[in-house]
Amino acid sequence: MFDPTTVASTERRELISFRVGDQEYCVNIMAVREIRGWSPATALPQTPGYMRGVINLRGAVLPIMDLAARLGMPMVEPNVRSVFIVVQAGDRTVGLLVDAVSDILSINDDMVQPTPDVACDTVRSFVRGIISIEDRMISEISLDRILPEREALAA
Amino acid sequence: MDELEAIKVTFFQECEELLADLEGGLLAMQEGIGDIETVNAVFRAVHSIKGGAGAFGLEPLVRFAHVFETLLDAVRSNEVPNTVELAAVMLRASDVLADHVSAARGLGDVDMAASAAMAAELKTWTDPSAAPAPAAPVAEAVETVAATVAAAAPTPAPAATSDDLDDDDLGFDFQPMTITVDEQAADAELIPSHIWTVSIRPKSDLYRKANETALLLRELSRLGPIVATMDESALPPLEFLDVEAAYVTWSVRVETDHGEEAIREVFEFVDGDCDLEIVRGEAPVEAALANLLNAIDPPAAAPAPPPAEMPPVAEVAPAPVEAPTEAAPPVQAAPAAAAVAAAPAAAPVKATQVDVPGPGQSVIRVDPERIDRLIDLVGELVINQAMLAQRVGEYGIAPSSNLAMGLDELEQLTREIQDSVMAIRAQPVKSVFQRMPRLVREVANMTGKQARLVMDGENTEVDKTVIERLSDPITHMLRNAIDHGLESPEERKAAGKNPEGVVRLAALHRSGRIVIEVQDDGKGINRERVLSIAVKKGLISPDLQLTDEEIDNLIFLPGFSTADKISDVSGRGVGMDVVKRSVQALGGRISIASRPGLGSTFTLSLPLTLAVLDGMVVDVAGETLVVPLAAIVESLRPKPEEVRPLGPVGSVLAVRDSFVPLIDVGLTLGYRTTSPSPTEGVVLLVEGEDGSRAALVADAIHGQRQVVIKSLEQNYQQVEGVAAATILGDGRVALILDVDAVINLRRRESPRPVEPTLIAAE
Repeated sequence: MFDPTTVASTERRELISFRVGDQEYCVNIMAVREIRGWSPATALPQTPGYMRGVINLRGAVLPIMDLAARLGMPMVEPNVRSVFIVVQAGDRTVGLLVDAVSDILSINDDMVQPTPDVACDTVRSFVRGIISIEDRMISEISLDRILPEREALAA
Repeated sequence: MDELEAIKVTFFQECEELLADLEGGLLAMQEGIGDIETVNAVFRAVHSIKGGAGAFGLEPLVRFAHVFETLLDAVRSNEVPNTVELAAVMLRASDVLADHVSAARGLGDVDMAASAAMAAELKTWTDPSAAPAPAAPVAEAVETVAATVAAAAPTPAPAATSDDLDDDDLGFDFQPMTITVDEQAADAELIPSHIWTVSIRPKSDLYRKANETALLLRELSRLGPIVATMDESALPPLEFLDVEAAYVTWSVRVETDHGEEAIREVFEFVDGDCDLEIVRGEAPVEAALANLLNAIDPPAAAPAPPPAEMPPVAEVAPAPVEAPTEAAPPVQAAPAAAAVAAAPAAAPVKATQVDVPGPGQSVIRVDPERIDRLIDLVGELVINQAMLAQRVGEYGIAPSSNLAMGLDELEQLTREIQDSVMAIRAQPVKSVFQRMPRLVREVANMTGKQARLVMDGENTEVDKTVIERLSDPITHMLRNAIDHGLESPEERKAAGKNPEGVVRLAALHRSGRIVIEVQDDGKGINRERVLSIAVKKGLISPDLQLTDEEIDNLIFLPGFSTADKISDVSGRGVGMDVVKRSVQALGGRISIASRPGLGSTFTLSLPLTLAVLDGMVVDVAGETLVVPLAAIVESLRPKPEEVRPLGPVGSVLAVRDSFVPLIDVGLTLGYRTTSPSPTEGVVLLVEGEDGSRAALVADAIHGQRQVVIKSLEQNYQQVEGVAAATILGDGRVALILDVDAVINLRRRESPRPVEPTLIAAE
């Protein structure tokens, strides 16, 4: 399958940016399947706190990940304006809960700066790079890293 | 996948079917009910496998198939008598052939030594010098008469006989004829050696397999200039024309320097699908006509020499021609040649039989993924429909209103669509059953038992998800039935039974489930031995009083084995406990009924599909959960005096003098941190895989419902305590409880810490 995270460096790419708390993040538009308004999720037992649970997406069971919590920030209770972005990551489809979608960006890869060496491990591993546009700082999410590893449960 | 690979995949799929046909035919022959058509079908199966294998250069497969085919050809032409003994040998050969196919496919290896031995054994049947035996069984069977016959007719002319057997049943008959005309015989030397006459009479199968006479003629023309004459006299009037049938025959004059072999090679791909006669020289039209007439209405005066007296065909330039159905017998038109023509004596025109053995019903091969997608979509439709119905109910719309009535109709339609779609995936259990005769043969051989497998209900249909997982438990139970159930032939004789044991494998539908029965007429379960083994292995306490049924069920305990010695078949550390577990993983149950000296019956009861599940919908801490009905023994509302504390936190429920641990599902799954009193809720008494019981506490029961199973792993991963998910009528996801995991979670001394942040986000 086409992997949206590996695009030739000179090509222009389109990204969808969104707000998580007071920060701006983005993902490759090719990975985005749809954007939906928040609806209550069914909680999953024995799962990390950033897993909001699962919802029904036209018959498929879609796990919803709270992006703020995944990045180690405090979780905000979703409200009617909250949305989740349905993304394709590898063979999985996952919903990312964010506060609001803000923009579609068109960038060259040379506009992407390496992630600064911040203290937080999660940020270093989940952020692919940082894009600076019009005084905004937008961090690109690395989708293949952000999903929890599939662990084989002992039978 | 490149194109060749795709074709190869199709070839192997066909091989599966052909091998099944082959085995079916051979089994019929072994039962003594195989007729000529069966022999032909068996021959065709081996021949087709060989042909395909040749195209892919699968050398060992081709070599073995060739030897097998040679023998079958000899059987087809009556050179080797078709006996039960021969069928048994050929059955073993079909197993080896199946091994070759699997090996070519990259699944498993062939025991080349065994294959070579088998090939050698097959050869002894066709080579009379190596084995004078084949004729013997016939002689024995028919005693004196057979002996004389065998002496009188040493070797029937192969060509004529095989064509006899090949007769198609479409209303006209073809008899190759040899004309012994003195002048011609004398002039034999003068016949130009490069002129050949090829008579082709296609059968319907030729066209069904997408071959074409035009292509054959084109191939022939590559050998040299040809003159083809078409005989369309058999063509019926248009209104009677069967478009699938073959009516037209050809007589082709070929001028070539190549030999007969080269001509025959052209027809290699259509062998068996057309009657073919290749003779040297030209066929004069008169002779041809004469033969036509002769074939229909042989003059009484014309002597019918036995086939054995026919001179070698290639030497005398005869004129084989097709006999049309249209009878126009002006005898005077027949030239002298016809009078001496060797019209085979027995040439009954089998015009009445119409049921041509063809490929049967038309079948579409579909990528299973497409069907799965369709099933998903229908699942959504069902959910959506339920959602609509619920909404309409909430708005208080009268049941007599148009809207409500339309909705009812929608519901009915949806249900029908769901049933039909599920039926697409339903397959007869045949695909699993047909592998079993071989298994029985092998196990019987290995254990020195005599066993006959009787199968019943092969056409019983089950969802493919279940079929795929039926094979292991059935294999295991059959092995057990022969290895442990059946006695040795001597023991059976001593007990006054037929030395050959009968194992019955049956499938049937019973109240929305499929039931698989494996029955043997062996010695039954030796309860004393079972009991003593169980005690010796420490599986049960020695002073336990058990009913017969309970003793029988001990064989399902892990680590239990009754085999005295470790044989090739059993004793590999895989016992009936594994069968039980795999059956339970399918949501099924297994039971035994055994009568000493008369045999045992194992009965599997399984759901028809794994796509839907019967469940009890319950409320736990504001969450809706589904508990599989198969695990629930009963549900009850506990009285305060039935709940007894045990230890610092635990408590048990008294159910009819036994005490069952109480498990609060909400607490175990981390939905809440404190448990309400069980007397405020309801209790589901459940039984785990290992037979352990527990009382699950829930807040309320909504009722029983069939739910569509949705995978959690597809987009996320396995979650402990959760078997799968489903979607409720209101569109929300509900989790299906994994009862065993919940019992085990509770049993663990230090349960996994539950994330405090986990809340129902509402």
